[in-house]
Order: sequence, then structure tokens, then C-alpha cells
Amino acid sequence: MKLLTHNMLTSKCIRGVNVGYPLSINASDVRVADVDFNPDFISRMIPKIDWPVLYNAVERLGHVEDLPKETPVNYESNEDFLKKAHHALLEVEIIHGELVCPESGRKFPINNGIPNMLLNEDEI
Amino acid sequence: MEVENQTFSMNKQKKVSRKLKRLQFMIERDTGTSCNQTATQNLVICNAGLVNGLSQEILYEHFSKHGSVIDIRLVPGKSYCFVSFSNVDSAINAYNEFNGKLKICQDNKPMYLLYIQVLPEVNSLYMWDKLPLGLILCDDFITSDEESTLLELCNFNTELIGIMKNRLVKHFGYEFRYDINNVDKTKPLNETIPCECNFLWKRLSDSDVKSGFKDFNPDQLTVNHYSPGQGIPHHIDTHSAFEDPIICLSLGSPVVMEFKNQDKHVCVLLPRRSLLIMSEESRYAWSHGIVPRKFDVIKNDSVTGYTSLKRGTRVSFTFRKILNGECKCNYKEKCDSGNNKQALENSVASKLEKLHVHEIYQNIAHHFSDTRHKPWPNVLKFIQSLDMGSIVIDVGCGNGKYLGNKDIYDIGCDYSSQLVSICKFRGYEVCVADCLKIPLRDDIADAALSIAVIHHLANEMRRLEALKEIVRVLKVGGKALIYVWAHEQIKNEEKSSYLKQDRKNRKKIDISDNSPSNIETIILPDGCVSFPVHTNRKEFKAQDVLVPWKLKDENKSTFLRYYHVFDEDELVTMCKKLSNVRIETSYYDQGNVCVILEKIQ
Repeated sequence: MKLLTHNMLTSKCIRGVNVGYPLSINASDVRVADVDFNPDFISRMIPKIDWPVLYNAVERLGHVEDLPKETPVNYESNEDFLKKAHHALLEVEIIHGELVCPESGRKFPINNGIPNMLLNEDEI
Repeated sequence: MEVENQTFSMNKQKKVSRKLKRLQFMIERDTGTSCNQTATQNLVICNAGLVNGLSQEILYEHFSKHGSVIDIRLVPGKSYCFVSFSNVDSAINAYNEFNGKLKICQDNKPMYLLYIQVLPEVNSLYMWDKLPLGLILCDDFITSDEESTLLELCNFNTELIGIMKNRLVKHFGYEFRYDINNVDKTKPLNETIPCECNFLWKRLSDSDVKSGFKDFNPDQLTVNHYSPGQGIPHHIDTHSAFEDPIICLSLGSPVVMEFKNQDKHVCVLLPRRSLLIMSEESRYAWSHGIVPRKFDVIKNDSVTGYTSLKRGTRVSFTFRKILNGECKCNYKEKCDSGNNKQALENSVASKLEKLHVHEIYQNIAHHFSDTRHKPWPNVLKFIQSLDMGSIVIDVGCGNGKYLGNKDIYDIGCDYSSQLVSICKFRGYEVCVADCLKIPLRDDIADAALSIAVIHHLANEMRRLEALKEIVRVLKVGGKALIYVWAHEQIKNEEKSSYLKQDRKNRKKIDISDNSPSNIETIILPDGCVSFPVHTNRKEFKAQDVLVPWKLKDENKSTFLRYYHVFDEDELVTMCKKLSNVRIETSYYDQGNVCVILEKIQ
């Protein structure tokens, strides 16, 4: 699971959970994959995502390197920044671990890169 | 059910006699009747009865080998029962062969027998003599010639008979829908009740049966074809659907029909060519059903007591009159009228989806995926129209046929972890999720796909919820493409690609399907629901159907997927119930009903 996906996932569908975001990550296996860099694609993605959530996620996984805490001004033309964002959003992948609901503590397993977000009958 | 033939060892004999003493004590205490040391014609089966699954049919099958069985008394809630023979010798023979040997019950333990002087008076489960109130049986209502004429009216495909597990059904006048247990009163069928049946009402009116039936003028007929071994689950005909009475003609073979009301249980032998009138209490308060088995055990008044009757092929004509307005019965606890229960309850719908959608895709995932590679052109066109950097969620992504597009970020989700694994293997970004609970934040997707998904939800409320959930994750201005299977598979004389896949259908031939439906009953924890099984590559005969998927494995396993196929305007009508969307376009595409929605606020 890529961190761009994590940036959008929530556990708000659990009954009694209001926001369910961001999900905290416990990862036991993290890999870095090579993904073709497309600066245009990344700069269009930046305004759609929650940057602090992305930053905290890469930090938690120990892949923060020198990603800035905040998005710089005029990032569209800042190729160095876009490459770092590209790496964090698309190249760092969680293979095994779990996502944890911040409100209920409910854990969602991640196996072979696939988070299982199904709920039990009594949770909906 | 096997008989052990070895003789008992000394040890075992002691054990058995201790056991028999205990059982004898219990039976004497319960019934106040003492057991005999010497043989009589009456036997107690000490450790086998209704509580461990014994039936009079099984009892009869074994005990009648030793002579004429004149009485069987099964006691509700007890683990013992009684059998009487016409003479002592038969009882002795049965005792010697079965005692401590015959395994007849569900727990597969041998039965123990005792002789008893007289059969105790017990409240036997089955009643034979007292018909429910309002139930009238007219023997020999039609002649053999009339029977033949009626049987010819409904030609059941004889190839199907014998291979189908369930009874075959054909409707006239109105279709009875087994999903909602009702008829759609706004949609009469082209085929009305054949005029060959008209003589029945004149005859009924001329007969000495109660005057209340003189004006009976049915407009709905269901013909059921039962092969030996087939039955029908217990049911009360939906009050809001039909008037009183309901009239049933039995052709071809007799059968025993059971009627139940609370703890009362009445068996009625329906002879061949008889007419059964269910009126008043028997129509409104008693359920009726036919146990699936190949022979019935019948109690008759003659000395022989019980006899068995082998079932042949039975065809029943059930005539009903559609009710306009509310049901006015006095059996409110059994009446559905007024609460307008047209849809499956959510709990039933979700269990049905679990068994007949989710579990099926888990089982067929790989074969299903092998048959799903060619994307539909209009879906691709929608994806290709999206801007670079769009976030797209494919809700119900299946094997990922529409994932992995260049320059957009697409995430797939599906209930089937097997299908999701296939997507992951192909390098796509996916999660396992329920389309009714999409695990994404509100307002984040630029576009959403729901291709062939919503038709798997088993009531309209859930289908609407699924649409709402898609709209929730869309951002304002974001678009969703929805595809569902269409009820109508021919549009403007052009067959859908689904029908064309059958080579025969490519030529100009009639794809209409007048053959009777095979009805599958699904047993769920809260009751049962029945749906017709769809014939692949034919038109849909009902909106809620089970569609078979045949695996190409050694066993040729068949799985039945639940579908609600959509009428022409149904999807658009549903979308209009959402306040925050605009319908950009709606169209028919190769047997699918489709819309593109835009979230506007």
C-alpha cells in the first residue's frame, strides 16, 4: 500500500467513529519500489493531499529523509521537492503491518500490500 | 441406518439390560403405562423419536418389513415413540431384528425396544382426521380426460425434468415473484389463464360446496411441476397479494400436503384429480407445504392403519385472484397488508449477499478473472476523458480490468479478497472493502467507477446506499460512472453482447424464454427466500434472479450469484433521489443500464 492511498483512507464507517483519520501505521515490512517520475502528475497531486499526514506517515516508517515538513511555495517548478514528494507518495510501500483507527483502536491488517478494510456486522 | 448383525458379548448384554431398565422407568413414569416382560403387538422405541430426527416415514420403511403397521405415535419433544403391529409375531420379528442394532436416528446410535401392553394416549404430532377450518377437499373433481387436457396446456421441457433439483414453475396472468413473495399488480403477463380452465368454476358453482365460491373468478395461475422427491417449503400465500380463497387442483399423482398452525400439524392426502379449497383460517393462518421425499406414509381408517404411497410426477394448478386494496382478514399477526413489505429486510438482504455474492466471487475468482480481460469501450472512454492527476476509485474493481491507467491515480476496492489479490499481483493499488462502507474520506475522488456492482445488492435501500457512498467520496464536480445489468436484454431489436455470446443467438432467432422457471430456495437464518434460476444467454424472466456460474473444474461446480437486474428507468429514478447530484447522461450499453453522475454540492 502506497502512502498516497494511506492519505485518503479512513475508518469513519465504523459505527460511533466520527472522523477516523488519519489511521496510524504499524508496519513490519516496508519496501521501496521504483516508480517513473512525472513532475506534472505530482504537482497536480500535492493540493489534493493532506501534507502533514503524509509527512507523519513517512516519518513513522523511517523514510522521511529530507522531505520538508511543509510544502514550499511555487512547488510546481521545484523539481527537487517534487522528486521527494514522488518518493514519499508512490515509492514507499507498506507490505505487512496494520492500520489503527485513531478513535476506536480497531486494527485493519495489511497483508501482501493489501489493507483489509472490511468491518464486522456488529461494527456497522 | 444400518443393522449390525454381530451378537452381543456378555459385557454388552449387561450394559444393554441396565440401559433398558433406565429407559423403561422413564417411559413408565412419563406415560403411566407399564412395559411388558412378554411379547405384545405394541413396541416402544426407547431412544428414538422426534427430538432426534425420527419421522414416521423412516419408521414405516423399517417396521413395515415385519408386518402390517397399524399405529405410529411420535410424541412431540420426546426421544421415544410407539409402533403397533396387527399381530404379536410381527412385533417379535421386529424386536429380534432391531433391538440394540438398528441405527435409525440422526445420532447414529442403535435403538432399544420394549414391549408395552397398550399404546398410551399421547398428543401425537400429526393429525389426519381434523382438517383446518375453511379447508375443503373435493375428490374426483375432474375426469381423466379433463386431466389430460389440462396437463397438455403447460408443456414442461421434459429434458429439464429429472436433472433439476427443484420443482418447475410457470405463471399465467401475473408473475408470482419469489423474492418479495408477491405479484407486481401493475405488470400483467401476456399469457392469461387458459380458457380450458373455465369449466372448473362453473362446476364449482354447480357443486354443493359452500355458496361463497360461486363467484370465484381467478386471474392468476401458477403451475408447479413436482418430480418425485421434490416439495415446497412451508408458506402462507401473501395476504396482500391474493383474495380468499386459493384453489389448487392436483394432477398426475397424489401427495400429502402438511398444514401447520402454531403447534398443530395436520396431514392431508390430496388425491389425483382432487380440488383443494383453502379459505378463511386455512388460507390466512395455516402454512402449507410438501415435504421433499419420494413416498408418503398415509394413515387410513381401515385396519391396516398405515400404508405408504409412492409419489409420481405431480402437476398442481393453483388459481388465485389478485387482491386490489388492503387485506381485510382477521389474522393480523400473519398479515403483511398495510406495512407494504415489498423489499427484503436488510438483515436478510445482507445474508443473501454474503452467501450468493461474496462467497461466490471468492470461489470463482480465478476463473472469473480469466474471462474478464476486454474492457468495455464506453468505460474506457470515460476513464480517458479524466484529467492528468485525477484520483479515481473503482468500487467493486473485480480483477482490475479498469485499473492501472496512465497519468491518473486509481485505487480499486472489492469485497472479494481473492479478486483484490489478483489486482495486486497485476501491480495495482487496492484494498478489500465493502461498497456500502467505502474506507475513503469524503470529497476526495475526482471520479468513481461502479461497474457491474450495485446489481448485486438485494434491496433498493442498499442499492441507494451504495450510490450515496460513491457520491460521498466524490469531490464537488467529480463524476461517477455507474453500470448495472439491464432487465431488458434486447434494445431496438438489437441483442446485447451478452446474448450474442451464444452462437445460436447471433442468427435471427427468438431468444424469448417461455420455459418454466427453476426456483431455488435459499435457507437463511431468518427464514427462506426463493428466486428463479436464470438460464444463461437468455432474456431475464424476473428482476431478482440467481445467475449460474459454471466452473470448468472436474466437478463442473455451479455457483448461483444473486442479481437484481434493472428496468430501463430504474437507475435514473434512483439517482434522482440523491439531492446533491446532476445526471449528466444515461444510456443503454450492451445489455447494461448506465449513468454518469456529477456531484454538485
